[in-house]
This record gives sequence, C-alpha cells and structure tokens, in this order.
Amino acid sequence: MDEREIIEGCLTGDPLSQRAMVEAYGNLVLSVALNVIGNRQDAEDVCQETFLQVFRRLDRYDRARSFKTWLLTIAYRRSLDMLRKKRRFKEFSERARFEPAVAGRGGNPHPADPEPLPSALLKKLSPRERTALTLWANEGCTAKDISAVLACSDSTARVYLFNARRKIKALLENDHGLLQNG
Amino acid sequence: MAFCKTVEYLYEALPLRPFQDWLIRVHMDRCPSCQARLLSREEARGLLIAPESVGDAGALWKRILSRTGGRAAESGRRPAQAVVRWRWAAVTALVLTVAAAGFWLLREVERPGFNVSAAGPAGRFEIAYVNVGGAPAQTFVYQPQGSDTVFVWAQKTP
Repeated sequence: MDEREIIEGCLTGDPLSQRAMVEAYGNLVLSVALNVIGNRQDAEDVCQETFLQVFRRLDRYDRARSFKTWLLTIAYRRSLDMLRKKRRFKEFSERARFEPAVAGRGGNPHPADPEPLPSALLKKLSPRERTALTLWANEGCTAKDISAVLACSDSTARVYLFNARRKIKALLENDHGLLQNG
Repeated sequence: MAFCKTVEYLYEALPLRPFQDWLIRVHMDRCPSCQARLLSREEARGLLIAPESVGDAGALWKRILSRTGGRAAESGRRPAQAVVRWRWAAVTALVLTVAAAGFWLLREVERPGFNVSAAGPAGRFEIAYVNVGGAPAQTFVYQPQGSDTVFVWAQKTP
C-alpha cells in the first residue's frame, strides 16, 4: 500500500488502511514525541492521540502538502499540549506537597519509564529547539520543513535549529573539558 | 577567527530572528570554523532516539484499537458529513423562518386599515365644538410663529 492508498483507505474508515498508516508512521511519530517530551509513557499517549486525531481530521488534510509534515505538525502540537499538561500537574503537585491528603490520592502518575530515553542534554533545549533538532537529524528536514511543523517562518526555524546545535555542542565540549580536567 | 567572534557577538547582542537568520545564512553556514562549533548531524543522532529504535508499531495499533473500543478509529469523513448536514438543516430552517415571517408581514400590511401612513398631514385644523362638563366650552387655539404645532386650550364656560 502506498501513501495515497493508505490515505484514501483511512478516509473511508478502512481498519486495514488505518493499521497500515500506524505501522508506516508510528515509529516516526513516537520518536519525535519521545525526543520532545523525554518520557516514554507520555510519548506513547501523544502518539496514540496523534493518530486518533489524524483519523478524525484526515478530510482536512491538504493533498498539496506533504502528509508526513502534516502528521508531524499534529504530533508536535500534541507533544506541546502534553508538556503543558505536565507543567500544570507539576505546579499542582508542588502546591499539594503540603497537603498530604490531596497528594497521597494521586500517587505517582508516571512510574519508572522504560528505556530508551533521549539524552538529558536535550532537556537544556526548548521544545521548539528539540523538535527542530529531531527533525533535522533524524528526518533530514530542511528549515522550510521544520517551519511547516513548528508553524513559524523559515528564518525562525533556522535560528531554532542553529541555537539547538550550538547549545548542545557547547554542553558536550564543557562536559568533555570537565572530564579531561577532572 | 576575529571576524567569527564579531559575528557571534552580533548574533548574541541582537536577538532579532531575521537578523540572526541573516548572519547564519551569510556567514555561519559557510564558515568551517563556525560549523565546527555546531553539533553535527551524526552527533545529534547519537543523542536522539531514532525511529528505528522505538520499538514495535503493532503495539501502538493495539493501543489505538483498545482506545476506540475495537471499532477502529472513526474516519474523518463521517463527522464532517454530519457537520455539513447540520449546516444545511440550519440554513434551510433559517430560510423557511424568514420566508414565513415575510409572508405574515406582507399579509398584515395588506390588511384594510393597516395603511395608516397613507393619511398625509392635515392642511387645515378645525374644531367644530368642544364640550366640557356637558356644556360648550371656551376654546383658544394657539400656533407659535414659524411652527406647525397647534395648541388647543379648552375651559369650562363660567
């Protein structure tokens, strides 16, 4: 099944086509979500939500655009939503720390994450920078492709990518320097 | 090298994205010295999770199926068609309402006695007589200069 056939099949609600779509793009979406969020369980949730949204809104997909870019745009937005949700939860749990009754009820919503997880260095980047770096390194995307996913201008996408590459390189060099000196 | 430092200083000093982008395109993307201070694609891949290493997409499909209760994920076309049908129904209802209101208004206007606006302003003001308390009253009519307003004052005849 090629991409066009998969899309046509999904538009008619064909489960085989939907399965083919998940098998074709599932790993891509999961890797992007994992690199942006940094948590396996949340990334899997984002991946699932992304495909459900894609199936629901496939009729809005503009055939003139790249399907992969459209899919990654949804995955990116879902990842941002997840990060916001986590931040709100973190704020709440910090406030609830002094209220054991409330904190005790929730427990730990994110048990130990199974590997693999992206490097902790990536946490030094903003979600946009992480996304730009992921798309550039893993998918070979250009600034134009990245800008379509991030919904920004080509210039902005280029700056995000440049900053990401520069920051991580500097951190790696610092670590290396510390190891040598230490 | 000194030029690279200057460019980097400018990049930091003026955090305007179009300007930064211009510096990247004009110098940093072409300069080997600046490129050496950036993470390469291979280095980045070493830090990131690659699609090949995330696991089995089949498991993801099972999750999606379980989420939708085994009825597969609903197609996007169906809700969209429902929305279109609702829109058509709403537009049709609106058109029918407007037509009914128009018809009713037209019928009311064409009724005898409705056309009050047909009576033009009176050319002449005349009072035959005024009775107050069953007896003819004294009447006074005033019209201010330069005005069409007419005041009629009636009082009981002493």
